[in-house]
Amino acid sequence: MRRLAGLLFILVSAVFSIAALSLGFALNSSSLSEPQIASEQNLALVVNLSNPVQNLSMPELRRIFLGERSHWPNGRRITLVMMEPGQPERAVVLRDICQMNETDFNNHFLHGVFTGEVLVSPKTLATPVGVRKFVFNVPGAIGYLRVSDLDPSVKAIRIDERGPEDKGYRLHVPPRSSK
Amino acid sequence: MAGPAALLDRVLALASPYNSSLLLLIVFLVVTVVGLFVIRDLHTTNVEAQKIYAGSVQGLQRIGELQYEVQETRRSTFYALTTNDSNLQLEYADQSREADRLVNEGISEYLRQARMPHEIEVGRRLQLDWSGYLGVRNEVLASILEGSTKEAVNLDLKGGVPSFERVRQDLQEIKRLYDGQASQQLANVAATSRRTILRLIGILGITLALASASVWAIQRSKMLGAIQLAKLQMEFVASVSHELRTPLAVISSAADNIADGLVGGKDQLKSYGSAIQNQCRQITELVNQILLFASTKEGKNRYTLRPLQVSRIIDAVLDNTAELVQEIGFVIERRIETGLPWVMGDLSALSQCLQNLIVNAVKYSGESRWIGIHAFVHDSEERSNREIRITVQDRGMGIDRLEMPHIFEPFYRGAAVTAAQIHGTGLGLSLAKSIAEAMGGTLSVVSELAVGSIFTLHLPIVEKQESEMASVTSKPDPSIRT
Repeated sequence: MRRLAGLLFILVSAVFSIAALSLGFALNSSSLSEPQIASEQNLALVVNLSNPVQNLSMPELRRIFLGERSHWPNGRRITLVMMEPGQPERAVVLRDICQMNETDFNNHFLHGVFTGEVLVSPKTLATPVGVRKFVFNVPGAIGYLRVSDLDPSVKAIRIDERGPEDKGYRLHVPPRSSK
Repeated sequence: MAGPAALLDRVLALASPYNSSLLLLIVFLVVTVVGLFVIRDLHTTNVEAQKIYAGSVQGLQRIGELQYEVQETRRSTFYALTTNDSNLQLEYADQSREADRLVNEGISEYLRQARMPHEIEVGRRLQLDWSGYLGVRNEVLASILEGSTKEAVNLDLKGGVPSFERVRQDLQEIKRLYDGQASQQLANVAATSRRTILRLIGILGITLALASASVWAIQRSKMLGAIQLAKLQMEFVASVSHELRTPLAVISSAADNIADGLVGGKDQLKSYGSAIQNQCRQITELVNQILLFASTKEGKNRYTLRPLQVSRIIDAVLDNTAELVQEIGFVIERRIETGLPWVMGDLSALSQCLQNLIVNAVKYSGESRWIGIHAFVHDSEERSNREIRITVQDRGMGIDRLEMPHIFEPFYRGAAVTAAQIHGTGLGLSLAKSIAEAMGGTLSVVSELAVGSIFTLHLPIVEKQESEMASVTSKPDPSIRT
């Protein structure tokens, strides 16, 4: 009997360990290559307060971020705002929304502007504050900000019916490294 | 002209003792009134000036700042056009928004302080036009940030320029309102200043006139006083001359008769001698009185003060005047209270004082032939105020109330006395008063026309009863050199 209990204990422990490992894998599925310094933040997509859009699907987002959609439902021209290359937020957008790397993204827009498929190239700003101010000033602008950088001057939209505070939100950005 | 001039002279005569005080009071009052007016007007001017500053000047300053910030809004917007760098464009956008925040605050402040309906109307219009311009400005900024420069410029030309022009005109109108207010307030201040100057000139003119009139009045009063004194002195000389001439005429006549041998017999000679004696006595008394008055004025009197019984003083006086009183048929009623305390005085001087009062009572009794002399103690709650009073009363013509202040002046003789041709030198009461004061007392009078007069000699009571020999000199006159 004692031998049986001990075998049972070993078996349960093994199962729990495997389950823990698996869970850890699942949580880090998209950033296994990134160093895990602290908990990750969600990346919110922000638009002007006057923009009537509340929710966008991921495919729609991709079209917007690739310049394939030029106007909002209210007729306002879509102006894409990006952060400078090298910023983790930009990397997340390129990877998770555009599904491109930096070179492919730049080539896409060069080609698009040249052929006329894309009307306006994205605006590039240096800081999250700049992105926020730009979106505040331009009614058709769309940009992205960490949740911690949000304020009432801009509006965060939902992606696939999930907001930045919701479980299962798809865009995550690593925390800022302290300099 | 004689009527008003006589009235003026009478008024001046009444006011003469107070001329300097009156003049000072008038000048003080006028200066005070002028000062109050000036202070009031200065205060009004100061308040107006503060209103101008608080209202118009500060208002103009605010409008100037508003105009600058409005321009700054537009300027910053256009600076954004000069660059393609989105970060720089955002900075200019921030500047523009900061400027329009200041403009909004300025407009709110203006509306808060506006009082007149027109000011409020212009303020609201400015607020509306500014909101309209900001709408266009926001679109222009958005176009610039989006990179649509041409669109931004078109938007501004189409909507921004006219709406900005409306804002500029609204600000100009407000500025004109403030200018108008300031001009009006400046005009008020100028008008107040003019009024103040005119008032000052008027009041100073009145002051000058009053001061001149007062100086003239004082000079005239002094002149009248000098004329009056000269007149009194002439009357004194005339009166003395007459007083001397009558006995001298009797003496001369008697002497002539004796020299001419017209007087025979011992009895007749005795009669003439007696007449000459009486006249000589009268002349002697007159001369003594004049000399006594002169020595009083020169401060050379020496009195021997000692404790005296009142009854002794009165008896001495009655002795001296017995012959005169009996000759004319007067009755003197003598009432002396028993147990009267002693008084300090010179017997001879006090006798002379009371004698003068009795002689006056005889002269001015008219048809009455009664004189009363009463001596008593006047009690008072304060021991120091107890005194002996000796009154000489007559039932004669009395003294006019208007002449009462003058009867103790030397050489003064009332108009009624002069009209009745009652002889005298005008020195009797003056001498009596001097003597009373030298004894430490006073002389007072109560009189009523056609009823009579009561002259009262007030003498202090002696506390000690021992005899004291003391020599006292009367107070020297500071105007006389020794």
